[in-house]
Amino acid sequence: MARDKIYLEEIFPSPFMQLWLIFRKTPVAMLGFSCFLFLIVLAIFGPLLAPHSPVEGQLDMLLLPPAWHIDGNVSYLLGTDELGRDMLSRLMYGTSLTFGLSFIVVIISLVIGVIIGSLSALTSGLKSSFLNHFLDVILSIPSLLLAIIIVAILGPSIGNTVWAVVLVLIPQFIHITRYAVKEESRKDYVLASRLDGASPFRILYYSIFPNITDRIMGQATLAQSAAILDIATLGFLGLGAQVPLPEWGATLANGLDLFYIAPWTVYLPGLAILFAVVATNLVGEGIRHALKVRKER
Amino acid sequence: MLVFTLRRLSLFIFTMLLLTLLSFSLNFLFPGETIINLTGAINATPSQLIELNDAYQTHRNIFWQYITYLSHIINGDLGLSMASQSDISTEIVTLLPATIELSLVALFIAMFIGIPLGFLAAIKHNKFTDNLILSLSMLGYSIPVFWLGLLAILTFSISLGWFPSAGQISLLFEIKSVTGIQFIDILLSDSPYKWQAFIDATAHIILPACVIAVAPATIFIRLARTSMIEVLETSYIRAASAKGLTFQQIIFRHAIRNSLIKIIRHVGLQFANLVTIAMVTEVIFSWPGIGRWLIESIYQRDYTAIESGLLVLSCFIFIVHILTDFIYAALNPLARGNKYGAR
Repeated sequence: MARDKIYLEEIFPSPFMQLWLIFRKTPVAMLGFSCFLFLIVLAIFGPLLAPHSPVEGQLDMLLLPPAWHIDGNVSYLLGTDELGRDMLSRLMYGTSLTFGLSFIVVIISLVIGVIIGSLSALTSGLKSSFLNHFLDVILSIPSLLLAIIIVAILGPSIGNTVWAVVLVLIPQFIHITRYAVKEESRKDYVLASRLDGASPFRILYYSIFPNITDRIMGQATLAQSAAILDIATLGFLGLGAQVPLPEWGATLANGLDLFYIAPWTVYLPGLAILFAVVATNLVGEGIRHALKVRKER
Repeated sequence: MLVFTLRRLSLFIFTMLLLTLLSFSLNFLFPGETIINLTGAINATPSQLIELNDAYQTHRNIFWQYITYLSHIINGDLGLSMASQSDISTEIVTLLPATIELSLVALFIAMFIGIPLGFLAAIKHNKFTDNLILSLSMLGYSIPVFWLGLLAILTFSISLGWFPSAGQISLLFEIKSVTGIQFIDILLSDSPYKWQAFIDATAHIILPACVIAVAPATIFIRLARTSMIEVLETSYIRAASAKGLTFQQIIFRHAIRNSLIKIIRHVGLQFANLVTIAMVTEVIFSWPGIGRWLIESIYQRDYTAIESGLLVLSCFIFIVHILTDFIYAALNPLARGNKYGAR
């Protein structure tokens, strides 16, 4: 009788590893995850890989349809726009603007939101009640409306869009962190370490955080899909990325006048946004599903 | 119910104070002079400016300035629009009903499509239908709304020519504005072409309302699905089936009622989301509502209009929010005891 293991040692994976082990078993979530990784790679290396410049046009190659069309040219795989700019290169550069920036936005607001949220979970009474009401008010204003107002104060530009979306996303992270920390600190293992004499910050760092990372990750994917849509919408409305920048929403708005002559200038950026949001949502679904399965065990 | 009402009222007052404080502080944050941002009087002569400064009490401290600002708002004075120099409150009164109309129609479409589909998915839990509905809903809330709107215009107004692509009603019809809500105005008017106007207005609203409804509908699908699954696992459903009721009887008599209550609670929250989507859709479909007006005032750097628009829109959303809370509490006695922010 073969024995693989000589020592009967039981391995307890960390909560995060448990989540990954379940997550790995859902094929749809893994598909979304690989698309997500692909987009991240494209966001970092896109500018290096792009075959043409995203802002300089070829004046003899105006409004070329995609390569599979009968008039298409294979060196401009997805066609060109009205200034002869290669759509594929614009979309690749746009990945680092729309998708890459939304990733950075989520990380910044996650860090700030988690810090404020966990600090506020340690307070109670009037201060806590005030914060709760205040968050409710902020959350009742639609995120896009708030972002539009912030952009109106700061003036339209891609940098200001980033700050606006960061500010808009912070309250969600505060809310979920606060809730999760409060829920965990009622549990026995936290009580045990409190009885051991651990300080509140030590409890927060060593006991509570490892157990709530997965929930915050789930919220982060939701925030990311909202951030992509918000950045693209602001770009579309002309309040975000300004004219030569190949941000997906702005590219789409740019193609609007030529919608009937050159529909690919509108279809392609829209499809790119759809792809990015679906990939993010699939990852989010996978995380939430894994959380549910782990809870049922 | 009295305690519940009082709690909601205090929350309402608190929120209104915060919102007005926010829009008041915007006057200082926007570029330009505070008093001009506040009143929108860009062409004011020095003597008019002195009058305005007096009216808004700018020589006193910030607290009194805020109090005067509040009293101006309560009297319905939101200042002048910087771009058109017309009174903002009258502009808002004419524009807001169009937005309310559009978002309510969209909300009803979303509910009538989303909730039954969600129930269907829950009944066929973990089967093909369930997976299909879930994948469709995932696609639905991932689509950027401006893109969906453009595709809808291209297919339904230009290729197929079924619906008009822009506006609220054809310019041929002269409808006097009484309530501001187009459909009620048409029915109230004594024009001989009343029914043609009604059909025309309906054709105009279908496309934008459907585009707005897609994202909220997918969320209703999810809500309906989770709440139905929860209800189907409860013991009273098991008791009903033990009594020998057929599956249809269980669903229609017990399950649907109990799961609907849980959904109603979320309608208010979804409404904020819906209004944002409506703002973008109004721009695409040139719908004469407050969202398009607000976005245009941003292009024109019309700070007075931006600030008042924000205030009015968020008040509107919050009022709907509180109304749905009341409906929920009236329908579900269990909710009244739950204290706000108790946990």
